[in-house]
This record gives sequence, C-alpha cells and structure tokens, in this order.
Amino acid sequence: MLQIKPIISTLRHNKSGPLLLLLQIILSVAIVANASFIINERVQLMSRESGLVEDEVFDFTVYNFEEGVDYTAQNSRDMDIIRGLAGVKASTTSSMTPLSGGGWSSTFTYGQSEETAKDAPQAAIYYGDEQMVETLGVEMIAGRNFYQSEIESGHPNTANLAIVSQAFATVTWGDEPAVGQTIYAGGYGEQALKVIGVVKTLQGAWVNSSHLDNAIILNVELGLTSFNRFLVRAEPGLMTELKPQIIAALHKENKNRVIDGFTMITEHRKRVYRDHELMATVLSMMVILLLLITSLGLAGMVMFNIERRTKQIGTRRALGAKKRDIVSFFLVENYIICLTGGVIGALVAVQLGRQLMSVYSLPQLELIYPIATVVGLVVLTTVAVILPARKAAKISPAIATRSV
Amino acid sequence: MFFYYLDLAWRSIKKTPLLSLLMVLAISIGIGITITSLNIYQMANINPAGERSSQLYEVRLMSQGLDSWDEINPQITYQDSFNLRKSSIATRQSPMFRTGMAVQTDDDNFVPILEGARVADSDFFGLFSVEFLYGNSWGKQVDIDPAYQVVIREDLNKEVFGGENSVGRTIYLNQKPYQIVGVIKYWNPSPKYYDVNNGAFNDAERMFVPFSLAPIEEFESWGNNQSWKREDIVTYADRLASETHWNQYWVELNTPEQVKEYRLWLSNYIEQQKLIGRFEMPEAKADLSDVATWLKVNNVVPEDNKVLVGLSVLFLIVCLVNMLGLLLAKFLKRAPEVGVRRAIGASRAQIFAQHMVEVGVIGFFGGVIGLLWAWGSLSILSAHFKLEEALTQLGMSMWVLAPGVAIASALIAGLYPAWRICSTNPSVHLKSQ
Amino acid sequence: MLSMKSISKVFKTDLVETHALRDFNLEVKEGEFVAVTGPSGSGKTTFLNIAGLLEGFTHGDYFLDGVNISNLSDNKSAAIRNEKIGFIFQGFNLIPDLNLAENVEVPLRYRGFNAAERKRRVQHALEQVGLAARMKHLPSQLSGGQQQRVAIARALAGEPRFLLADEPTGNLDSMMARQVMELLEEINKAGTTIIMVTHDPELARRAQRNIQIVDGQVCDFTMYQGGAEKPHLVSDTESPSDGQQAQTEQVAG
Repeated sequence: MLQIKPIISTLRHNKSGPLLLLLQIILSVAIVANASFIINERVQLMSRESGLVEDEVFDFTVYNFEEGVDYTAQNSRDMDIIRGLAGVKASTTSSMTPLSGGGWSSTFTYGQSEETAKDAPQAAIYYGDEQMVETLGVEMIAGRNFYQSEIESGHPNTANLAIVSQAFATVTWGDEPAVGQTIYAGGYGEQALKVIGVVKTLQGAWVNSSHLDNAIILNVELGLTSFNRFLVRAEPGLMTELKPQIIAALHKENKNRVIDGFTMITEHRKRVYRDHELMATVLSMMVILLLLITSLGLAGMVMFNIERRTKQIGTRRALGAKKRDIVSFFLVENYIICLTGGVIGALVAVQLGRQLMSVYSLPQLELIYPIATVVGLVVLTTVAVILPARKAAKISPAIATRSV
Repeated sequence: MFFYYLDLAWRSIKKTPLLSLLMVLAISIGIGITITSLNIYQMANINPAGERSSQLYEVRLMSQGLDSWDEINPQITYQDSFNLRKSSIATRQSPMFRTGMAVQTDDDNFVPILEGARVADSDFFGLFSVEFLYGNSWGKQVDIDPAYQVVIREDLNKEVFGGENSVGRTIYLNQKPYQIVGVIKYWNPSPKYYDVNNGAFNDAERMFVPFSLAPIEEFESWGNNQSWKREDIVTYADRLASETHWNQYWVELNTPEQVKEYRLWLSNYIEQQKLIGRFEMPEAKADLSDVATWLKVNNVVPEDNKVLVGLSVLFLIVCLVNMLGLLLAKFLKRAPEVGVRRAIGASRAQIFAQHMVEVGVIGFFGGVIGLLWAWGSLSILSAHFKLEEALTQLGMSMWVLAPGVAIASALIAGLYPAWRICSTNPSVHLKSQ
Repeated sequence: MLSMKSISKVFKTDLVETHALRDFNLEVKEGEFVAVTGPSGSGKTTFLNIAGLLEGFTHGDYFLDGVNISNLSDNKSAAIRNEKIGFIFQGFNLIPDLNLAENVEVPLRYRGFNAAERKRRVQHALEQVGLAARMKHLPSQLSGGQQQRVAIARALAGEPRFLLADEPTGNLDSMMARQVMELLEEINKAGTTIIMVTHDPELARRAQRNIQIVDGQVCDFTMYQGGAEKPHLVSDTESPSDGQQAQTEQVAG
C-alpha cells in the first residue's frame, strides 16, 4: 500500500527537516557524480600500457667529471662492462627513460617532396643501440631491429635509422606500411632517417602529453657530454644486487665519476603518475566519507522522526497498520526526498561539470555518472531507512492510548 | 553568562552523546577534508618572496622566429642574458641557470658527490634577500673578470667542512679548485620561484658559482633547454651563440618610474636586435612579471588543487547542512525546557546565545578533531606519495584556521536552529506535556 | 498591582478567527490571592500567559506594577518576568538535566547575580519549601509533590512580586495537593500576590477571591463565601450574544 498523499502532506507540514535533507542530497549527488567521474578518468590514465617490461628495467646515470675524457670511448667501455655483469639481460645507453617526466622530444617532417612535406607529430626520441628493443622489452610487430654494425657513436646528428611506435606510424602514415618510409629531423631533406621497424607500444616520458604514445628509437650510442644514462634489464628485484656491482665495476674502470640515480621503471611510473593517483585517492576518500555522512544524516533524521511520531505510529498500529506498512511509510517518505534531491542533484552535477570543464582542463562529465550516483543513493536510502524504521515498526499500539 | 552557557552546552552534549558525536564527526570530516586540500593548495600558492614580491621581476623576451612558438617563453637565450647585463637601470639584476658538478675536497677519503649548482651574478643574493652566515658574495668585479669563487649553503658547509667558517678554503668542483667566499644560511624557498621551469617544488641549489665562468668552465645546463629553431650545436660556444632558451633573468625595480624606464630600454633593445635579424615576430615584445604574477603565469598551483579545494568546500557545506538538520532536531526537542527558561525570565537573545554557544562548542571539537584528520591524512598522503615536505607540512596558519573555520561554519549552521528555538512561543510548551 | 483593561486576544489562522479573550477587565490588588476557574477552552491559559508576559495581546491596556506592558521589547518583558513574576506549572516543568539547586538557580542566573548571592538565595528558597537537604538530587529522584515544591522554590528564589500558578496541584494526589496549597497560602501571607488557575473548587474556595472566565470574559466573585449563592457579575453589558449570557449564568462548582 503506497500512501503517497498523506506522506506528502506530512512533508509539507514539517518543511525544514526534509528540505535540509533535500539540499544535502542535491549537493552530495553533484559532488559524488563529478568526483567519481574524475576518479575514473585518472584511473584510466594510469592504466595505459607503456609497452615496457616495467618491473625488469631500471636506469642510472654516470657523470664523468675528469677533464679530457673522450666521452664516446668512455661510454663504449662502460657499456661493455655493464653487459659483462652476471644477471644483466640486456643494456643500452639512452637519451631518456620512459615515464620519467624528462627527456628528449622533437617534431619531424616527412613527405614525397619539399612542397608536399608535412610535420609529423611530436615524438619522444630514444637514442640507443641494438639492445634498446630488448632492454625495454617492447614488442617488434613489423620490420627489424638495428644490427650492431649499424649503430653510430657520439653526436645525435649521426642517426640515420629509426624504429617507430605503432601509434606514431598510424598518425603519420595511416594504413600505409611504416617500414621503408623516410622522416627528416628538422626541415625536409635534413638528416634523413629511414624507418626499419615498428614496435607495438612505446611511451615517452611525459604522461600528461597528448603525444605520450609517439616514440622513436634512433641508432646512436650517445657520447657527447660528461653526463650519460644507461638502461638495464634484469630479473625483477635484482637491481639492489646489481647496483653496488655496477658502481664498483665502473669505478674500477675510472674513479673520477659519480654514478647515481638507480631507479626502477615502476618507481618512475609511481612518481610520474603521483599527482593523478593523489587526486584519485583524495577524491575517493571524499566520496566514501560523503556517502557515510549522508547516510548517517538520513538515518539520524529517520530516528528523530520516529521519536517524534511515536504516538502517531502507535495510533496507526492500533488502527490496524501492519509492521510492513510502517516501514514502507518511512521508506516512501525518504524515497520522495531522495529522488527529488537526486534529480535536482544530477542537474546541478551536470552544471558543475560544465563549470569545471570550462574553467579547468577537465573533460565533460558523462551522464552515466549522475545516473549511477542517484541509483546508488536509492540503495543507500533503503539501507539507512530500513534499519531504524524496523525499530519503529516494533512500537506497541498501546502507546496510542497513553496520554504521556 | 558565557560560562553558564558553556556549562549548559557541555551538559547538553553529554546528554545525547551519539547525536553529538555524529555532529562532531560530520563537521570534523568536513574540516579535515577542507584543511587537507587547502593546506596543499596554500603551500603551493605561497609567495615566498614576501614583501619583495612586487619589486622583483622576471624578464621574458619574445625572441622566437616566425611560425614557431605562439607565446612568450619563460626562459631567455644566453646572448640575451649577456646583453641585458649591460643595462644599469635595475637596482640589482642577475641572469642564471642550473648546473651541477662533482664536489671533492683536499681530503682523499671524501667520496665525490654530485651537487646541483646555480650559475648567477653577485647580485643574486641581494635580489632574493639571501642571508650570509659567513663571508659574502663574490665581488662585482668577478661578474666581469671571472674568478674561481663559490658560495655554499650552511648544510653543505656542514657536510664538507663540519660546519666551521670555511671562507677562504678550497673545494674542487669538477676537479677545479674554487675558493669559498661565503656561506649562506639555510635558504630553500618553496615554490622555488626564481626557477620554476625545473620543478617548482624541488630543492634550491646549495652551491652558487659566477655566471662569468660559464663560457670558460662550460657549465652544462641542468634545466630545460627550449629550441624553436634547428641549429647544429656541437660545442659550448655553439650553445652560447644559439637561439636556445635556457637562462632565467631577474631584475629588481623599486619604483614605477624605474619599471617604465626599464621597459623602454627593453623595447629599444628589441628594436636594435631586429636590425640584426633576430626577434622576427612583428609582435615581438618584452615582458616583466613580478613574483606573484610569475607564479600565476607558470601555473605553479596545479589545477587539480583548485578543483580539490572547490569540491572540499562543497563537501564542508554538505557536512554543515547535515549538522543543521541534526541541530534543528535536537533543539526543537528541547522546546519545553526553553519554554520554562523563557517563562522564568530568559530573553530571546539569551536563549539564542545559549544555543549558539553550544553550537560553537561542537564546532570547536569538530575543528580540533578535523585538524587531527587533516594532520593524519597529510601524513599518510606524504608517506604514500612521497610528496615534497613543503606541500604536506601542516601550515602554522592551519592550526588557527581549522578551529576558526569549524567554529564559524558551525555557528552559521547553528543560526537557523537557534533562531527557530528562540522564536517559538514559550507558552505552547508550558502546559502539562 | 495588576490591571487589565479591555484586553482582547484573537488567534488567526487561514480559515478561522478565534477570540480567546474579549474585552477582558481585571484588577488585582497587592497581596491578593486570586483563584481563576472556568471550563477548558474558556481562555484561562491565555489570560495567564498574557498576565505572565509570555504572550502579547491584540487590543487593550495592561499595567503591571504601574508599568504599561503593551509593546514592551522582548528584553524588557523578559526582565519583568525575571524580576517580578514567578511561575508554577501543573507539570512542574523542572529542567530534568539540572539538579534541584541548579533548577532554582536558573532565574538568578538570568538576573545576573554573583555566585555567592545565588547560593544564598537558592539555599533560602529551598529551605522555605523544606528541601534544602536534597539540593543535589535530580528532579526524577523526587515525588510529584516534592517536585512542585522545588518549582515553587524556583519561583520564589527571585523574590517576585507575584506568582502565577497554572493548576499547581493538577498532577498531585489530595494529600500533596493540600501541602502545596498550604505552602502557597504561607507565601501569600508573607506578601506575595498570587494568581492561581485551577479546576478544583475546593482549592478555589480557599482563595480570597474567585474569578470565573467563560468564553474569554471575566465573572468576578468577590469574597465568595458559599456554594449556592448567585455570583455577582462584574463584566456583562457588552457581551455580544445571548448564548454567552446564558453560559455565564452557570455557576462554577
């Protein structure tokens, strides 16, 4: 038996309580819908594949401060030493570390002639040798890797071969096969780079960039400055063991350098996504607490109403209302408030989402979020109401006959 | 009377412990969330230059060519740095960039450390009001005639020399001997406003070397190098002559006239550079931003922070509405007692005051517990996310702000219930219940 | 002492206008003990509320102790209630969370007395009603009669000029009712003016003067002596309808 009419008249007589509950629900829906939307967006960002075997790869840097060192020759010697260590599966010098937040990137040009040349999108540039693909653990899906004999040493402008990520190939050439194409570093015709291979996924260093999936590996073992970076692949957990070995071996070769910065890619990932994870965590905290507070408020309100209406409930029971009717009275009353608040709240949520989108660089709120929130709210209302209302149903009809 | 109300409030809170707990919980969670996000926001939003903020200006120059960058870049080229130093309008000025060097001492057992350093002119310390513990900056002459002199920070001095007055002693930077001329007190502005391009919340450098040494010692850039033009840069000289942006430039201008004069000088400079083929863009211009503007221009406060603060304020409002409902219920239940008090001679104002005190007490507890929440959540966040300490330290102002905001917002939430209870007609509740 | 002239009180709702008091006139002299009777709904409580400054009125003039009460600010009327009037209710209306001493102390707090003066007066008032020994007890630990005596002590503590009692014995058995009544008579003898609303003709008879309120108007039985005599009608002429005339003829008791 749904007794909507008397319920509405009850609500109209005691405006302030229900009105406050309504306001609370409106705000909760608006906040929860937007917060969970942002949380989901961040979780999706964080779950993107980097293409790497992240738990096997780490990087470190070598700073040669001795004057008169031939950096190119020094790097080659260091490379051999590192590769000779037991436990090292593969290793390469690298201009940058994936997901580290810092590195090299550039735009390239491509096309059939100078007149029809186009700019390829921004891409991260990994300068490294024939072990780069194996070190990162990226999957070759077309063409081939560099041969050892093809690796140049020293300056970046000696590069002439490229392995590109699938994402970069698709944006640049569409359905055409990438292998065999030529891109130019700089203007058309300057420093031709021949594409010889495509890897399935390889991300750059900047996770907030829209070009994250565009990456290019070029065939140069860098050796230009005193500062050099190595990537090493080893079994998970082996970094702690290898670190002192690497430092000792390289210091044995030449004492005048600082060897530092050993970091797993998993750590880089954690750091580079930190702000997103932080945002998602704080917002999740907020959503949970908000739901808690709203349901406690709801339950508190129902308890208060029961206390106030004890006599009324007793009278109803005396007049033949079943326990079920009492519970459903409270349920329907709160469903009315909750649904009204939910609908208005959803509208406010959409509006708030629009504001956030226009003021900040947040994407547009998807409608499913306010809808899901309202559905969740109905479930929450049911639980928060049924528990105290069942207590109310136990009120004895005899209460009605007592005067105090 | 206040203490009487306080006593009554305490009795009332004790009488309905569950309801009181619910209210305190609601407001404390609201305050906890708000203070957490506000703290992160405020710490990121601090203007570390203080009162100097409006006298220090970062110089930017639109030196890029046609069809390259659309906007004015936060850094400038070395050649522009070199030329700007020739102006004598500013009270103080310094070009700068970040580098790093291996540090060694005479002690053979000292394991070399790699240490970030700032390359700047002698004015740097005066510009940013850096205080010296021992010695002083290198002389002005060194800015013109390079000398191997260095200023180090207190804590580095402690690590290398055990904290004694090391002025006059020698350290080796990349194996070159440098004479220590000054030791500065601990100085680590957050955000690191003098160079926000390379991590606005990273630590400040602990070594400072003369800018004039750069061409000789070929200090590498440890910061962002931004190029709009493809240039073959092989040698250090190539880099110095290139169009790469990698220097920051700060000037101190104390009066509006000085600012005007300096702006004029800059636009003349741009005109002059146009004659030799640089500054190709027709709208090429110079820009001066004081510290506050500079932090804003560089979006030092992440947008996420602002969204969080906004949402947490809404959250607090929900908590208050929640509390308002509970208060209303609680107060109205007490109407008979209030009727007696009114009959006995309490005025409306006194009843109102009594209830506002009660709300204030609840707010105070909420604020204190909220502060604990905030402290806890900041500690957890900083431990879990390895946040910079600068961001998660509970700011001094928060210790006052949290209970303050809690009490104020509780009082606002209490206004309506207290008004309702004090304006009900007492006679209604006096007839035998 | 108390003078009401042509007081009327109208309650308005959307649908009906109810005249709780109409052209109500009453003079009470200093030191009188007045009992007010009347059928329920006749306006007894409204009269008491207006007399006690708990409610305003629509028309007429009300002087209390020479002060014109019409249009007093809330603060002023609260102060008058506090200083000049003591209330005693049928339901005692002690504040359940406060012990006896604290209950008695409430009006003194609002008067702004210092702690020593409050203590002295509380002690004195509770001694007057014979409950000084139990001042730390909570109201719930007392019998109904004891509670009412505490309520009287609370009313006396501020040393009011007159007491307003609304069915003070209504919730008590006859033994206790007598005790309370004797206490009130003692207080009256000591000089406090008392106006008491009651249902109980036995009690009413013990007052110096009886007033009957019927349909918002006063029938005054000055020095009412016996049960059978016809009352002397004070207020009469302007009664609007015959029906009401007829009602006022009915003698209470």
